[in-house]
Amino acid sequence: MTIPDTTSDSDLSLPLSGYRVLDLAGPMGVYCGKLMADMGADVIRVEPPGGDPMREVGPFIDGESGPGRSMYWLHFNTNKRSVTLDTSTPEGAAALRRLALASDVLLETGAPGHMDSIGLGYETLAADSPGLVYASITPFGQTGPYRDFKASDLVAFAMGGYMYVTGWPQTPPTRLWGSQAYHTASNRAYIAILLALFHRGMTGEGQYIDVSMQEAVAATTEHVNTTYNYTGESAVRCGFRHGGQFVATWPCKDGYASITTNTRKAWDDLRAWMDRDGMAGDLMDAEYDDHFVLRGEHSAHIEDLVQRWAMLHTREEITEFGQSNHHPWGPAATADEILPNEQLWGRGYLTTVESEDGGPSMVYPGDPYRLTDCPQPIRRAAPAPGEHNAEVLSGILGFSVDEVVRLIGREQG
Amino acid sequence: MNGNEPHQKHLALRGIRVLDFTWIHAGPSATRILSDQGAEVIKVESNNALSVVGGPASATARGLGQRHNWNAGKLSISLNMKTPQGIDIARRLVAVSDVVSENFSGRVMPSWGLDYDSIRPINPSIIMLSMSGFGRTGPWKDRVSYGQTLQAWSGFTELTGFPDTDPSGPASAYSDAVGGMAGAQAVLLALMHRARTGRGQWLDVSQFESLTSLLETLVLDMSVNGADAVSTRSGNRLPHGGGGPHGAYRCLGEDRWVAISVFADEEWQAFVDVAGVPEWAADQRFATAESRCRNADALDAFVESWTMQHAAEDVMGMLQAAGVAAGVAQTGADLSRDPQLKARGFFRRVPDHQGEQRTIESAPYKLSRTPGSVTSGAPAFAADMTYVLRELLGMSDDEVEDCAIAGAFD
Repeated sequence: MTIPDTTSDSDLSLPLSGYRVLDLAGPMGVYCGKLMADMGADVIRVEPPGGDPMREVGPFIDGESGPGRSMYWLHFNTNKRSVTLDTSTPEGAAALRRLALASDVLLETGAPGHMDSIGLGYETLAADSPGLVYASITPFGQTGPYRDFKASDLVAFAMGGYMYVTGWPQTPPTRLWGSQAYHTASNRAYIAILLALFHRGMTGEGQYIDVSMQEAVAATTEHVNTTYNYTGESAVRCGFRHGGQFVATWPCKDGYASITTNTRKAWDDLRAWMDRDGMAGDLMDAEYDDHFVLRGEHSAHIEDLVQRWAMLHTREEITEFGQSNHHPWGPAATADEILPNEQLWGRGYLTTVESEDGGPSMVYPGDPYRLTDCPQPIRRAAPAPGEHNAEVLSGILGFSVDEVVRLIGREQG
Repeated sequence: MNGNEPHQKHLALRGIRVLDFTWIHAGPSATRILSDQGAEVIKVESNNALSVVGGPASATARGLGQRHNWNAGKLSISLNMKTPQGIDIARRLVAVSDVVSENFSGRVMPSWGLDYDSIRPINPSIIMLSMSGFGRTGPWKDRVSYGQTLQAWSGFTELTGFPDTDPSGPASAYSDAVGGMAGAQAVLLALMHRARTGRGQWLDVSQFESLTSLLETLVLDMSVNGADAVSTRSGNRLPHGGGGPHGAYRCLGEDRWVAISVFADEEWQAFVDVAGVPEWAADQRFATAESRCRNADALDAFVESWTMQHAAEDVMGMLQAAGVAAGVAQTGADLSRDPQLKARGFFRRVPDHQGEQRTIESAPYKLSRTPGSVTSGAPAFAADMTYVLRELLGMSDDEVEDCAIAGAFD
């Protein structure tokens, strides 16, 4: 597809069309803004005159940084608009305040107290705009003894309890691929904003949202808190042997495969296949009949046998056998296997976007859900710095052309 | 339960009813998000699935914890969907609900006549959330998966871990948590869409897609840079570089670790001061963020030689006091005593149906006007038959008894 040149969002076919979001977020919240923009909101990013620092984050097209080449920027800012404002000047700060008051949602990730210090705290804006939904994402929340602590994605992932359990016993605690603490904070903030917008639709009331990245991670671990709170034991690192050998990934002939023996039949099918290969050892004995045996005292013995057997087979053989018997078995895909995935293309989740200025065409992932009554195309590529200065500052705030030029220093957009 | 209690005006989803067929993890964690904000979530349970993880008779203590954590504040009824009466009651409940949710394999809801096309005539503005591994369309729609299967299939397993060991993947079902968040988001979006247009819709959530959405730039990078794209495990270092130290470092004690991330030069200077200005810090290899990143192996060894002399909590405290991002790699026990989580009330004690106090997690956001409310743990199995059958559906004693005799509640 090529992206249609749309400058207005008057169409109400998407759930968030008609809502304006002032996106002041750094990396903790940039995905939250993207999720809103993809669902139709008019998300306006405010950048300093030189452009947002996230434009310098890799990977880059052809490995070289430069204007328009950061794929980090391109990915996380689809469907957004951009204005550049020097908010250190009184005129710039005043324009930012007017933009905030012309918005339905304000999203920010400054340290606690920062927005108050520049006159854009919730209380002062809500006095003039009571319907405003104002969301702050911080590492540890706005209150409590750690409120002023700093955290990167890595540190929040550690403090939320996900890092200690990820990895192998012999490795350090390990982060997930990608900045998942940032994205979890974004995902949670997005839920809170949608709740607040739904409430506003019913009552007209706005509100303040305080999102803690540490809590966002802690509420996403699945087993860390329930294990400790209900057994008194802390969960430990066990690599990809999730839940013992019961739900597990194994090295195989050409990589790794996930072989989950979640039912008696799955376990029976697995050991019968091992037996046909002459590799089952004593596993066909009645004492191994219960599939929960994989969690018990024989687990090391079973693991040894399964491991030796798995090396005989490819990921595809294991997947084919498991899926044809309705077991949740599958390959550990390598990075180069995601792009050609037939299911992702088959559902229209991946989209090729042709460049309009001679650059390469690029494949974008879609959104994490599908609303069948609300098609979700990419309407607009990530903006250039200040690309929408004129249409935002004149069109929304009513500045004259002279005022816009004075405000941004030069004519743009 | 009724909609007139005064505290309910502080709940964003008061008056919304969810007929919830979901089970295990992803689905119930989605509807817990809704029930926290006042949606009346009616869990439809079955005698056949009592002991699954999160089921009413979970086989393990951890499963019991997950039962409460993902089902706090919900109602429970038992319906035997193998009987016509059970299906009839479900259809009557669809008529009085706003949302129907399910995470079965694709053939289950159609076999009960409860797929979206079948229930829309009963309730034209119904919102139906279907959560599945791969989505309900496309060539893989019938494939089966667990969270860990999807993590493997989406690349998360191969990409998470250190380059010189087996990959580890996420420690738990990140896929289910991510699918749960996507499911809740989709329902909220659909409720907003319905409020504006009057239209319901079918939400086809593929957890495979929800996870793939979190691979950041991987797809773009592969599509443009092909073989040169960054596509391998990088341990705790950022795959696209940036600063250093950036990792987990061993501290005093058994399996104690602190995560430290330093990017800007001022942070590096502050770090060096806290570490006591050691000789190695003056090494030219560590002079800039770029060179620290390039020489990360050497740097990490020096950093760990310092952290190993201190307790993880002390390293965190010293570095945070100097404005450097550092935090303990917290265990389950650490989280339970974390003063920040305590001050924020993250863990909450709520009574279960027998009055016993159960610990659950709170929503990780605070809304000033609609703070939400959880006042009880997960329901006992079939605890709310009377409310649902008599009050909601207006069934008579005789009708309920006839259904019971027919086995509709077994």
